[in-house]
Amino acid sequence: MGPPRLGTGRGDHMSSSQRFVMPSAGSPARLTFPPVVRQTLSNGARVWAIRHTTVPVVTIALVVPVGSAFDPPGSPGLAGVMADLLDEGTDRLDAIGLAEAFASLGTELSVDAGPDVTTLTLTTLSRFLEPALELLGEMMMRPRLREDDLSRVREIRLNGLRQLRSSASAVAERAFLAAVFGGHPYGHGTLGTSAAISQLSIDDVRAFHSAGMRPAGATLIIAGDAEVVEMLQAAERQLGGWQAPGGQPLPAVPPAPASAASRVFVVDRPGAPQTEVIVGHLGPSRRVADYHTLVTLNALLGGQFSSRINQNLREVRGLTYGAHSSFDFRAKSGTFSCETNVKGDATPLVVSEILREFEAVGGSRPAGAEELERAKSSLTRGYVRQFETSVQLAHAAGRLATFDLPSDTFDRFVPDVEAVTPQTVSAAARAQVRPDEAMIVVVGDASPWRTQLVSLGRPVEDAEIEF
Amino acid sequence: MIPFTKHTLANGLQVVVHENHHLPVVAVNVWYHVGSKNEKPGRSGLAHLFEHLMFKGAEHQPRGFFEPLQEAGGSLNGSTSADRTNYWSVVPTGAAELALWMEADRMGWLVPALTVERFETEREVVLNERRQSYENRPYGLASFALSEAIYPSDHPYHWPTIGYPSDLRAATVNDAREFFQRYYHPANASLAVAGDIRPDVVLAWVERLFGDIPAGPEVMPPVATPPAPPACARLMLEDRVELPRLYLGFSTPALFAPDDAVLDVVADLVANGRTSRLYRTLVHDQQRAAGLGAGQGSRELGSLFQVVATAAPGVALEELRTAISEELERLATDGPSESELARARVLAEASFLYRLQTLGGFGGTADQLNAYNVYTGSPAYFAKDLDRYLHVTTSDVQRAVRQYLPPDQAVMLSVVPQGEPQWALRDSERAVVTT
Repeated sequence: MGPPRLGTGRGDHMSSSQRFVMPSAGSPARLTFPPVVRQTLSNGARVWAIRHTTVPVVTIALVVPVGSAFDPPGSPGLAGVMADLLDEGTDRLDAIGLAEAFASLGTELSVDAGPDVTTLTLTTLSRFLEPALELLGEMMMRPRLREDDLSRVREIRLNGLRQLRSSASAVAERAFLAAVFGGHPYGHGTLGTSAAISQLSIDDVRAFHSAGMRPAGATLIIAGDAEVVEMLQAAERQLGGWQAPGGQPLPAVPPAPASAASRVFVVDRPGAPQTEVIVGHLGPSRRVADYHTLVTLNALLGGQFSSRINQNLREVRGLTYGAHSSFDFRAKSGTFSCETNVKGDATPLVVSEILREFEAVGGSRPAGAEELERAKSSLTRGYVRQFETSVQLAHAAGRLATFDLPSDTFDRFVPDVEAVTPQTVSAAARAQVRPDEAMIVVVGDASPWRTQLVSLGRPVEDAEIEF
Repeated sequence: MIPFTKHTLANGLQVVVHENHHLPVVAVNVWYHVGSKNEKPGRSGLAHLFEHLMFKGAEHQPRGFFEPLQEAGGSLNGSTSADRTNYWSVVPTGAAELALWMEADRMGWLVPALTVERFETEREVVLNERRQSYENRPYGLASFALSEAIYPSDHPYHWPTIGYPSDLRAATVNDAREFFQRYYHPANASLAVAGDIRPDVVLAWVERLFGDIPAGPEVMPPVATPPAPPACARLMLEDRVELPRLYLGFSTPALFAPDDAVLDVVADLVANGRTSRLYRTLVHDQQRAAGLGAGQGSRELGSLFQVVATAAPGVALEELRTAISEELERLATDGPSESELARARVLAEASFLYRLQTLGGFGGTADQLNAYNVYTGSPAYFAKDLDRYLHVTTSDVQRAVRQYLPPDQAVMLSVVPQGEPQWALRDSERAVVTT
């Protein structure tokens, strides 16, 4: 062992008063979002090019406005199954042939079906931009969509749903969305339900595909190390011929429901060592006017490690590995919620504490000036970190397309957050964080604490979760 | 290739700097060459618990570690493995000195801030983490059971990095202080800084902030006897799961040892992703598996190669076991095709390039420089590492499969739904997992 190292006496060669003064955070770095060159393909699809030259890599993101919010009544999961089939082959290549073709280009492909849009993301080496786009074009123009592929994809999805029944977080999320959105299609996730998926025929999928996967409304984003003109021309060559089939496009998503009355939903898992907790309610859409105030509010309340809720539940009390709140902004509506996972016997305390924090930020303990400055500073100073990779840039542009946001959205972030005041953040908290409307979902071994939840003064019921 | 400069301070701290002005941010990354493999019996989990304590704030950080850096626009985290503990932050350029100061303060002056209260609160956080991430997660205890079966009880990879709850409860703040004295000092650390900053500026700061921290005692690498073939090759665990799953584990060559990269390629060929052989047969053609994966878990004292297959409803694990054994046998006999190897080379080239896209965070440029520096002594190992993959031959694959993955040397773990032991491979012994 070396010399004892307790205390501060470490032979400073400068005055200790200077040595131990924390340096300042320095002046903020500013970054403007790179130019997005916007054109329209001959088939009506939008194509956006963003030059970004750090590494010889290109990301291609195709954003199509079709997602689980468009699932027809009675068919939760149709959009997700359709998305699953997108990479199951083309008329020329079966699922494995297509995967091998991408692998031979070193290309990573992911298909992400969300509530509002489905995004196909390809990351490839710059020298493979054209062949990667060619494969994407083939997937769009000549999809396989065969019965045997559906049968396989459906089986994989049914098995996945079956496995999710044992995941406390998946159970809680399902219960929460259903509680908040009821029968609105936002009330189910893209995975859908086993009952609905079992009923799907290949004709259902084909009809949904031809109504939803259309160039009109789609946005092809190419970001990375290639010349802009090269990106735009390659896009036209490889996807310009993608044409909408006949028939009607998908009907619009119904308007979001109103807030329902607060309730407690219990999912009993005898023997479970932890309880998964979600507390939250309906929230605004991404297009809400005071978006930046809400982002700031969330950073202060529960969005970060040093936010109020995590400080309280983890750092002060040691009740959880982490507690996190967020606004889930969607196209038509959204949610605000806090999620955490706690030791079973802490369940009632944690639920009360989350409700108390929800109340406090809009009432008894409004945002203090210093606390607010810290939250704002973390957001404004940290904003430059968001745009490092071609994937980050492509997906940021994808959000502009998804929510139809103005082109200066990213450059307005810093000034708009800087303009948030204690008054505006308190008003936003009162309007958008509403403990009285909160749905409370608890998934765990309920016998020790079920009766204590009654004291919350809200109806307590056992949730029926359909997988 | 990642350009860098490297210096070693008088106290032994190694400093690697990568200058890159694409984005106005700086990534700061510190590796301490200590992990759960350095723990003493009865104190499992201490390395990871200690990692948590590093975020509570050091002597001159009254507001803790997170707040000043988050307020400065930084993002930060840390992690512990069997072999090492890493800490990173990514900050806007202006806060680079702050990020280095924060690291220096906790490298030199953590102990005065380490109170009994902080220790005990953080132990509860870790026990929550263990329950959330392992005990309450489907198949979450499988990796513990597998390691305990493959490595004898005195082998440093026998116990889980998260630790046994009884050991965590028995640990004291004095254990943590001792751990700090022994392992958390400049001579056992490597600091990498990547991003929008000049190396001479970094070095001046580092000299001033870290230079006066004493070197600390020499850390002797843990000794490990290679695991003998385990006493019991078939184990079973009942868990809150819906579908039975089979784990095959093999003890394989260490990180960067000959054939380590070959076995990475083997994992891809056999069961990783849609282009793998078993995906085609078990998932695509026959639909006998609901999920599939493989990996060479590379570590300093020896690696653990795993093949994992989840049975489709009604399919016996024995069928999956047979299919996996047959595929390994075929690969040993016939070797991979030329197109399989060509694909593996392109994927290696691409994935090494994709890794260069981020400066900071887990797996970012700074983290890679430190990984190579700590494990090989040279941050320049990036190019050699890629070479290992570009030069894998058919006979390499055949030899590695034959030598390291003979089916009769696998430890086989069946994870089955509670109350349904009949789904396990026959003759499986019940695994005992300490919770």
